[in-house]
Amino acid sequence: MNQKELKALASDWSVATLIILLLVSVIAIYPHVDDKGNIATNLQYGLDLQHGAWIQLESKGEVVGFTTDRPMDDFLTNLSKAADAEVILIDESHLEIRKSYTQEELKPFFESAGGEITTYNAGVSKSTADTVKRILESKINAIGTKDAKVNTLTGFNNVARYIRVELAGVDMKQAQEIVGKQGKFEIRVQTTGNETEHVLSGDTITSVQLPSQEPPGSDKWGVSFTLSDAGATAFQEAAIKYGATADPENHNLIMLLDNETIYSAPLSDDLAVQLQTQKIRQLYASTGTGKYGSSQASELEIHLRAGALPVDVSIAGSGGTSAPLGERYKAMALLAGILTLITVGFVIYYRYREPGIVLPMVLINASELVILLGFIALIRFQMDLPTIAGLIAVGGTGIDQLVIITDEILHEGKVPSPNLYLKRLTRALGIIVAAAATVVIAMLPLALMDLSTLKGFAIITIMGVLVGVIVTRPAYGRVIMQILSK
Amino acid sequence: MGLINYNIEKYSPQQLVAIPLGLFVISLVVIALTITATGMPVKPGIDFSGGIAVTIITTDSNEQLQATFTGYPLSEISDMNNGKFLKFGTMGDPQYQSLSELINQKYPDAKIDQIGESFGKSLQSQAVLALIFSFIGMALVVFLSFRTFIPAAAVVLSALADMVMTAAVINIIGIPLSLGTTAALLMLIGYSVDSDILLTNRVLKRQGKLNEKLMGAFHTGMIMTSTTLAAVTALFVVSWFGSVQILMEISAVLLIGLVADILNTWLTNVGILKWYVLKGSGK
Repeated sequence: MNQKELKALASDWSVATLIILLLVSVIAIYPHVDDKGNIATNLQYGLDLQHGAWIQLESKGEVVGFTTDRPMDDFLTNLSKAADAEVILIDESHLEIRKSYTQEELKPFFESAGGEITTYNAGVSKSTADTVKRILESKINAIGTKDAKVNTLTGFNNVARYIRVELAGVDMKQAQEIVGKQGKFEIRVQTTGNETEHVLSGDTITSVQLPSQEPPGSDKWGVSFTLSDAGATAFQEAAIKYGATADPENHNLIMLLDNETIYSAPLSDDLAVQLQTQKIRQLYASTGTGKYGSSQASELEIHLRAGALPVDVSIAGSGGTSAPLGERYKAMALLAGILTLITVGFVIYYRYREPGIVLPMVLINASELVILLGFIALIRFQMDLPTIAGLIAVGGTGIDQLVIITDEILHEGKVPSPNLYLKRLTRALGIIVAAAATVVIAMLPLALMDLSTLKGFAIITIMGVLVGVIVTRPAYGRVIMQILSK
Repeated sequence: MGLINYNIEKYSPQQLVAIPLGLFVISLVVIALTITATGMPVKPGIDFSGGIAVTIITTDSNEQLQATFTGYPLSEISDMNNGKFLKFGTMGDPQYQSLSELINQKYPDAKIDQIGESFGKSLQSQAVLALIFSFIGMALVVFLSFRTFIPAAAVVLSALADMVMTAAVINIIGIPLSLGTTAALLMLIGYSVDSDILLTNRVLKRQGKLNEKLMGAFHTGMIMTSTTLAAVTALFVVSWFGSVQILMEISAVLLIGLVADILNTWLTNVGILKWYVLKGSGK
């Protein structure tokens, strides 16, 4: 091939795209030698390919569709009392009960509160699940574990029942300790200057609400929380004793989590006056206005919970891989990938006996894999064993389709004229697109459902098929024509 | 491939379809028996029924392992290249804690996976749904791309036969349905229609004699399947050698499925297609 032909080939859109994608992928994968002298890449591995542990938590609650003819507030209060659980309204016809009940058990509670159950799903609302996720993340971050992932598994109906926590580099026992650990929360009051005194600790906080605006719609954010009776008494006594009610400005109330200040503000004037004469169980900590206030409120909410989750959870599954096994699986996966390519190369060579066809085929096939790995690195997807099987399967279908293209074009053993060539390439691509569409459709349910670890596998397979159909296979058609017309 | 001398011309459509039809019926019986026994078309593994799977690297014998884990619901020990794969039934939290401590202490390099019963159950129904949706989706694409009923139905029927035969064989050799094998079955839906689409396309859309088109398609199709078989065999060998349980199961299911696919493409699908063309409604 002379230089002119090479140039023409490279300026073909599909070949050009292939080259650009390859370059981008190699940059994304970023193979390099790390400081320990090992070969490293940007690829991330799932917990079956590296040392780590995972825990699957199940939320103890349910999302119930309902109707009622009572005023909403009354209904919710009565239902909460009857079920002896926190009840949260999700929208006008759905609510969340933060305690585990079956539909049969709930029925009498709804009847007594004046309502009826229309749908029942175990789990919690997406927003509650997100709160759980945030709390778990902040806990894990506080411990300084890197490479942690918390995923809520939300179904089609927007109900999240399971949450999966993945922690790299720790074993299962440590992981359970991290997830189960609670922080030490304390409220102190400023006495004189920088001196402070203990007022109450986290166990006297009975519930924490979601961040809210006070008054509603004012964009002034804060979090309200409820104290136990004993907590409220301690709060009132301390406030009076240390002068916070008489002179709020000089006696800030300070909240600490694990001995670090997370909030410090004076009593509001109203509250100071009220506290003089009565104990107050419902408190509201304001955090400011606008976006800043709202994000501070979310932070504070988590801190107030001191690592306690808004809903009880139980462990629905857990597991872990030791470091040596992870290393071995990684080596095996790499070996499998390389061996597959070589075997396929041999089979193709056995059939065509023509290096001019076999070489581009294997190279295009390998480049599909590189592009997919680049994509995986780019979206920081954690590769696990099923994903690797998916990659190898994509490689397998890829080579199949290159065979279709080659055989369509070489029909009757003659090298076609450019016109006929284009007609045949189009026909071959027609077959390929139909075959590819079936694979994409077959994988789509998995990509949309939350079937645990299979989601990633499905996404990678679909991506692989798309890259193949849109870029690499047309490029192969172009390259093979150039070679055959020699 | 020169090694295979298969002359489609020789056989009538009825003869072609007879063998796979017999196997299809036997497979259905196997699946029906499995459904009566377990409630699922394929025996659910730990991923779906709950339980604990442990991979350890050890030279201990099965008896030694049984002695180590007396008091725990150890249900299965399988050999791997240089280790063992253990399965336990579901157990309460305290028992699980003590089991995982025992394993950590005796076999620190283990891989443990525990799936709760309720989580497994919820996955199970989703997996079945995913398989059904996939299959319907595939059928829709096939009908849309051919727009003639009998050839399209032949492709869908071959794919169905692939799935049914594969399911029957994995029941017989005892591979349980796990997340990995579900993925493999889904992959098969995509794989199996590859060669069927090629075949139908060649026969319906190309000019020429029927038998020549069939032989041409067979030639190309066999290369395709043999490359895929080669790739999957390589995966199977490596995963057996390295005792990677999940990859072994996935590749085993794919291998079985590909063999079933050869049968169904070049007997079932060819048979129906030949009958359709000879009947005179094709070109």
